[in-house]
Amino acid sequence: MEDYKFLFKVVLVGNAGVGKTCLVRRFTQGLFPPGQGATIGVDFMIKTVEIDNEKIKLQIWDTAGQERFRSITQSYYRSAHALILVYDISCQPTFDCLPDWLREIEEYASSKVLRVLVGNKIDREDREIPAHVGEDFAQRHSMYYLETSAKEAENVERLFMEIAAELMEQARSKELPRYDSNSPTINGRTTVIGDGGCCSRMS
Amino acid sequence: MASLGKNEDVLCTSDGIESVYNKLVAQEEEINNGLETLLSRQCHLEAKLRGITKVLPNLQIVHSDAQQLAEMITFTSTLAENVSSKVRQLDIARSRVSECQQRVHDLLDLQLCSDGVQTALRNEDFEKAAAHVHRFLSMDQHLLKQTADDVAEDCTSVTNSFSLLHEAATQLGAVVTQKFDEAVHADDLASVERFFKIFPLLGMQDEGLVRFSSYLCSKLKDTALKNLRLALETNTSDKRANVIYADTITLLFEGIARVIEIHQPLIETYYGPGRLLTVASYLQRECDRQSKRILAEFSKCRHLEKIVQQVNEYMRTNNVYSKPTDKLDPKELDLLLGELTIMHSRAELYVRFIRRRVMNDLEIGVPSGDTRTALVSELEAMLNGSELCHRMQELLSSYLLLERYFMEESVKKAVVMDSVEEGSHTSSMVDDVFFIVRKCIRRAGTSSSLDGVCAVINNACALLETDFCEVLRRQLRQGYPSGYLDLTQAYSVLHTSIQQGRLQASDSEQARLMFLTYLNNADASTEYTDTLRRSLMDEVPSVLTTMSENERVKLESCLSGLGSVAASLKAVIDYGMEQLRVIVIKPRVNPWVDTFLSVSHQLSEEDFANYEANEPFVQNLIMNLDGLLGLFRGSLTTSNYDTLVSILTAEVTAHLEKVVIKSTFNRLGGLVFDKEVRALVSYLTSTTSWSIRDKFARLTQMATVLNLERVTEISDYWGSNSGPLTWRLTPADIRQVMTLRTDFRSDDIKRLKL
Ligand SMILES: Nc1nc2c(ncn2[C@@H]2O[C@H](COP(=O)(O)OP(=O)(O)O)[C@@H](O)[C@H]2O)c(=O)[nH]1
Ligand SMILES: [Mg+2]
Repeated sequence: MEDYKFLFKVVLVGNAGVGKTCLVRRFTQGLFPPGQGATIGVDFMIKTVEIDNEKIKLQIWDTAGQERFRSITQSYYRSAHALILVYDISCQPTFDCLPDWLREIEEYASSKVLRVLVGNKIDREDREIPAHVGEDFAQRHSMYYLETSAKEAENVERLFMEIAAELMEQARSKELPRYDSNSPTINGRTTVIGDGGCCSRMS
Repeated sequence: MASLGKNEDVLCTSDGIESVYNKLVAQEEEINNGLETLLSRQCHLEAKLRGITKVLPNLQIVHSDAQQLAEMITFTSTLAENVSSKVRQLDIARSRVSECQQRVHDLLDLQLCSDGVQTALRNEDFEKAAAHVHRFLSMDQHLLKQTADDVAEDCTSVTNSFSLLHEAATQLGAVVTQKFDEAVHADDLASVERFFKIFPLLGMQDEGLVRFSSYLCSKLKDTALKNLRLALETNTSDKRANVIYADTITLLFEGIARVIEIHQPLIETYYGPGRLLTVASYLQRECDRQSKRILAEFSKCRHLEKIVQQVNEYMRTNNVYSKPTDKLDPKELDLLLGELTIMHSRAELYVRFIRRRVMNDLEIGVPSGDTRTALVSELEAMLNGSELCHRMQELLSSYLLLERYFMEESVKKAVVMDSVEEGSHTSSMVDDVFFIVRKCIRRAGTSSSLDGVCAVINNACALLETDFCEVLRRQLRQGYPSGYLDLTQAYSVLHTSIQQGRLQASDSEQARLMFLTYLNNADASTEYTDTLRRSLMDEVPSVLTTMSENERVKLESCLSGLGSVAASLKAVIDYGMEQLRVIVIKPRVNPWVDTFLSVSHQLSEEDFANYEANEPFVQNLIMNLDGLLGLFRGSLTTSNYDTLVSILTAEVTAHLEKVVIKSTFNRLGGLVFDKEVRALVSYLTSTTSWSIRDKFARLTQMATVLNLERVTEISDYWGSNSGPLTWRLTPADIRQVMTLRTDFRSDDIKRLKL
């Protein structure tokens, strides 16, 4: 048995080139990778963090943004506890694609999934999307919002730590894993059947 | 003296004086001994002193010797310094001489070369001509000119030779290029190789590699086109017809691999190692062109685009609008799915081969460092950015879509065609569904893509956890028809009708059978899920061969999704069991247990003897319970049956406890109750493989209390005397149970210290 109290799956999505892989590398390895190739399929990384003296294992799935990887990446939505949707604040098209990504999320992810919108590359001078526009969008779609720079290590740690803290909070208040017949369970460890008035709890 | 002075009164007695005297004598002796030892050392010390005085003058000599030695060493070192500097000078002089010699050689060779190259060219001896040019190119032309100037104050002959040789080199280059092209045109492999070897002698490595690569490409193209034509002509009845495009693309990959296998030694020998990347990049472009062609034909002949579109639409409309007629039969996809995975796998193996070969070549040919790192990234960019890889990723994407459709639709079909066979606890769909799921995941493995396998595993988990569990749950939601009085009869009717191979039982009989079957389905599925998870953890790595630790963890993480499936199945079982508890067990068991109240537990000796002979309450209860369990024993899986017994036991014990609290007992009544509990435990233990004793812990302890002779006897079992017994009854419980004994005085009970 490994030494951790909670295990959460975090999936990053968004157009290719917005900096998903850099965000993950920055968080898991503390570096900004120079000229690595585009992600192929899905990359997998693990980092264990500590909050309130509790060990939390984060399983991070870094997906490739291109259309041709969609059938691979879609298969990871359902079991995700948190989805990070990333765009590039210096690239309007990556922002314009957000509704498409949301449609995907609606279709495949659990309705209970924690959704975070991230505007990356704030170190760049040529910003195209003002912060309030991103924030508005996030608010309209009931998502958390954060602006980051993987390059300058800005808000990256905070992004993942806040997700971990929030998920831990949810798990503690037993909000996290519910079963209802319309949306799939996101965690088999505590399943509640809301049917016929009798409930049973798994442990 | 302190010892003496302190005790002055000691001196007043003769005994005292004597003892003091004795002490003094002893001290004197001691002091004498000390002096003697000191004296005895005197002679030794004197001898030593004499020795030292004798040696003293020698020291002087040693000192001067040492000084002399130091001077000598300094002298020698200076000498050595001088000699070595002379040697260094000599060395420089010698290297100058050898440089000079080299230059003289060069000058001599220059003449030879410029004469020789002409002759060789005239004789079409291109190798010889190239050798002359090669020799010439290895010379430092600038220095030679200078030397000629210094020596003869005239460099015209050297300059002439230079221009002559330059001219010859250019001419030779042109001729060799032309001859090479002619050889390619004539498909004269020997000549192609002959001229290919000459390029590097002329300093035309890049030219040579490019031309040779395009020659190889043209050969590949011819073969590929021929193979594709044969593929298109293949009769549909041919036994390879179903995988003909996979075969064709495999031939292309094997062709390229063979080309590298054959020509790499030639390239390495004449161009040096580290050159394979250039050639591989050219070959890759040809591979991209030819694979594109094959894939286009494949897509056209197998109607891939149309099928993908159809399936996509069907999935998008969520099955609502599509008529069953235009729905694709999943079985029709079987062959196509197989061919898709073979193609992907072959491309994967091919890319791995190229990567390995070029990496090895770079490791030998390029010293590690920035250059090599850059070349390795170039290799990765070349492979990952190749059209082949993109197309294969698209192919995999189509495969995954179709595989998902295949899995979902096949499972739906299995559910629709579900049937119960005689003698089977489960219905056909469980075996069918898990057969399908396993088949799909295995097939994904044959694509050699971990991402592909993981995606199919994820899809399988989604399917099992939502759709499949929902199918099971839906059946259970219809409920278990009650009506106990009919049940025995209903069962016999049902069983006979099943035995006759006809399911003509009444609606409620059929509903009961289906309920239990689906409960069993859920149980069997749990087991299948566990098996699947365990076997895939071994199977997948053995199919994919090369897996890093990270990839292994990735696979494990996806397989843990099957753990969630098992948990959902468990919830389905719990749901069904809860229904049985509420509908079947509770309404029957409670009245049976209630009859306890109608049997007095205030017994005389005579009553006791009578009672013991019949045990009316418990034997009746056991008979009823056995009748009830008997209805399920043959119809449930072992695990489900054990769960049912466990639920039944919980009901019986909980209710019996309530009833006992409402009764009164005397000593003999308590004894009877103890026997009754034992009888129940022993019956229920015999009917299940699980331990039910724990569920009886409180009742057994109540029986112990009711069976006491006196109130105070409890101390034999309580506290430090409890031994291995863990009390489930609280002190308050014990007092309450004691009050049920009419012969116990409440004062005694109150006085108890627990
Ligand atoms: N200036 C800047 N560039 C970034 C940042 N994050 C990523 N990039 C660059 O964006 C490009 C794409 O990054 P990558 O992480 O591969 O994007 P992905 O396709 O979303 O995984 C790379 O060239 C990175 O160097 C950032 O925070 N600031
Ligand atoms: Mg990436």
